[in-house]
Amino acid sequence: MDRSRLAVWGAVALICCVPVLSGPVVGLVDLTKAPLEGVGDGSATIDDVQTPDTARFDRALSSDSYVLKVPDARIHVAAIEGRPLVSYKLSIPAMQYSRATTHFLSADDTGWVDISLARETFAPANVTQSSYEAELSLILRVNDTKQVLHDGPITVEVTE
Amino acid sequence: MTSADAVDEGDTTAGDTATGERATRMTDTATGALSSGTITDRFATVRSVALRVFVGDRLGLVVFLGTLAFVALYWRVGIFITDNYTLANALVALADGHLAIEEAVFGPHLKTPGMVFHDGAKYGRNYGQIVFALPFLWGLEALAAVADPGLILPMLWALVLVALGRESGRVLGRPSLGTNVGVVCALAAFAVNVAVARPLAPRLFPVAALQVSAIVATALAVVTLYRLVGRVHDRRTGVAAAMVVGLATPVGFWASVPKRHAIVVALALGICYALFRSRQSQSPDDLVSPLGFRAIAYAIVGLTTWVHGGIAFGIFLALVVVDVPTARSNDIRSLAVVGTVFFVSMIPFFVTNVLISGDPLRPPRVLYSFQYPTSDAAGGGSTGSTGTGGFVQSLLDVLPPVLATPVIAVLDRSSVLLGEFVAGANTLSSDPGRLYRVFVRGGDIAGVSRLNLDQTIYLTVLEAAPIVAGVTAACATGGVRLWRSVHRAPKNLVTRLRSRSGAFKKSPATTVDAFVVALATSFLLMYVSRLPLHAQLTVRYLHPFYPLAVYAIARQAPLRRAFGTHWQAGIWTWAGGVLVGSQLFVVAVAAGSLGRGEAVQVHALAGLAVAAVFAALAASSVFSDRFDRATAVAGGLAAALGTDFLLLSGLVYFQYGQYALPAAGWVADLLATA
Repeated sequence: MDRSRLAVWGAVALICCVPVLSGPVVGLVDLTKAPLEGVGDGSATIDDVQTPDTARFDRALSSDSYVLKVPDARIHVAAIEGRPLVSYKLSIPAMQYSRATTHFLSADDTGWVDISLARETFAPANVTQSSYEAELSLILRVNDTKQVLHDGPITVEVTE
Repeated sequence: MTSADAVDEGDTTAGDTATGERATRMTDTATGALSSGTITDRFATVRSVALRVFVGDRLGLVVFLGTLAFVALYWRVGIFITDNYTLANALVALADGHLAIEEAVFGPHLKTPGMVFHDGAKYGRNYGQIVFALPFLWGLEALAAVADPGLILPMLWALVLVALGRESGRVLGRPSLGTNVGVVCALAAFAVNVAVARPLAPRLFPVAALQVSAIVATALAVVTLYRLVGRVHDRRTGVAAAMVVGLATPVGFWASVPKRHAIVVALALGICYALFRSRQSQSPDDLVSPLGFRAIAYAIVGLTTWVHGGIAFGIFLALVVVDVPTARSNDIRSLAVVGTVFFVSMIPFFVTNVLISGDPLRPPRVLYSFQYPTSDAAGGGSTGSTGTGGFVQSLLDVLPPVLATPVIAVLDRSSVLLGEFVAGANTLSSDPGRLYRVFVRGGDIAGVSRLNLDQTIYLTVLEAAPIVAGVTAACATGGVRLWRSVHRAPKNLVTRLRSRSGAFKKSPATTVDAFVVALATSFLLMYVSRLPLHAQLTVRYLHPFYPLAVYAIARQAPLRRAFGTHWQAGIWTWAGGVLVGSQLFVVAVAAGSLGRGEAVQVHALAGLAVAAVFAALAASSVFSDRFDRATAVAGGLAAALGTDFLLLSGLVYFQYGQYALPAAGWVADLLATA
């Protein structure tokens, strides 16, 4: 048997063996473990949280609308497993407005992780005051449990 | 190119094809001697005959394997469009041994589009397609008995890569290099796939089986185009045409979507090929005679009825219109052979219909809710029926009921089907502007976008496959010929026409050209009254237009000259357009925070711009070779835009289900977060 034939059959044997080794009959290893056994499952240890003190309503580019810009929050992840969720929420009671963005953490999210809030545009008529008092919260959800990382007031300033 | 079965030069193993060929003839003449042959010999014989029948030759095998390998890159195991549920549930029922669908294994309930109701039972449709998927389902289930389900598809793909490397090496005369590259790539890709592997639920196997069958049908379609163009011109042109249709048109988009389109395209190209061979003189090596190929063309039409009766009727009309006047002979014997084979090929269709509706001519598509609900079509249908009611009815009254009943049934069905054509013709004459919305620019069409989840994801033929713009060369050639014949004396014109019709009878390629035009016309008439429509994405109703257009482009001598001389410029432009262009699209979509509809429109506009340039250059190539290089570059870019759309729609815009190759899913996840 020449070398290239050997290479072909060797490769074919190897490629066919691996699924069998991980298969139902042999089952030596399980190579297809679900890496995310459902979103929100796992565990996370957060040992530090930094949240902004102010947010801004800025004029949108080339229109009269306002864009609500909330700076990113930062969390320090000491240890993590699975796919915990972090939701970042801003509510402005005076405007009856509330917005949350949920982040899916993954196993490589260790150390400082930035948590952002999606920007939203407001019609000019809806922004009447020069500043608003708002609530900012950061909640960690793991295995159907809630852990409040931060919950406090924030000022939203309107820039002209 | 004399014969597609020629063995490639530099083949160190002395060509299995030729050896197998000799072995075949040996088995034909001396069956008794078979017992002396070893099992290996017999296996080699079977392999070489299968190779010749399905892919033609070794280069065809490379095209086939290459298509499989490419299409799998963005294969998502899942349901793309709601009537996939119907087919998947019908396949589950069929695998259980019955036609009636009892349970919604897939989807929320059984009232999915395409499901039909008869005598209280529910049935699917396109049974030919479902039966074709059945062996693949058995194969997957058999493999899953010993192998990890999540690794089966990566394993099969890696094996395809090994074979692709080995066969490419042989074709290129560098067997050991090809083998080594194939083995290394396959092992590396397999290792990456195993590293990021995820489980695949065995309950998805019926969907995966339908998808595998569609992918195999796509690869067969692509390889059939290679064989056809390879025979009409040369193998190099054949490979180019096959690559264009597989890599740069929506044929790749619908390859892993379990709908009828991939199979219909494969069948239509199969008819083109059989028709061509039926007009060629027989060489001693051929397995089938020209008359046999003529019968095969009709047999494929017969099998098409099992997939979609209406389409089969349209194809049948196109075939009869071209085949009968140009056939070498329409004597009793030929017609008897063709007719018998045609009838036999429709037996699966008849049997399925009898089992479901009790009437061999009532396929599932005409049960319960009728397939053609547009008001225009209904008008056309009633016109046909009135025709049957008058003169024909009086004739039928004379016949005994035994004869009259089937005749009435056939007339009734065909008048409904003909109604489609009448409606199409009416639409074309009353509203020709609609063609612009089908072929040139779609954009935000009222009604279409709304039903497309308010997304502008409708693409016209040109937007989806800018390379199709090359058909302008055919138009220019036709224009030049027309101009010349008009400027000659009328007497001359008559003799010219006469001589042309003689040439037409003699030239197999001209016959196929005529069939391609007839087929395209037939599809256009069948569907134009309903277009533009939602859930089309790439005008999928006219799906055969893409390979037919590529065939038309490959037939143009000026374009063959341009791409033949500057093929390197074309290929490098294509490669650059894919590598750089796809990244530019990703960046543009991410930077602009574009939604799916917007992203698709970016592709549409870029495609149209390049298509316009390519169209002009392709037309100019008929008159001068000055712009040949530019034509090749524009063609390469147009093809690259088609490829970009395939890759990005598969990996970024239309994500559903899990990727067959876990590594592709990993890349898609990466792109989604970018």
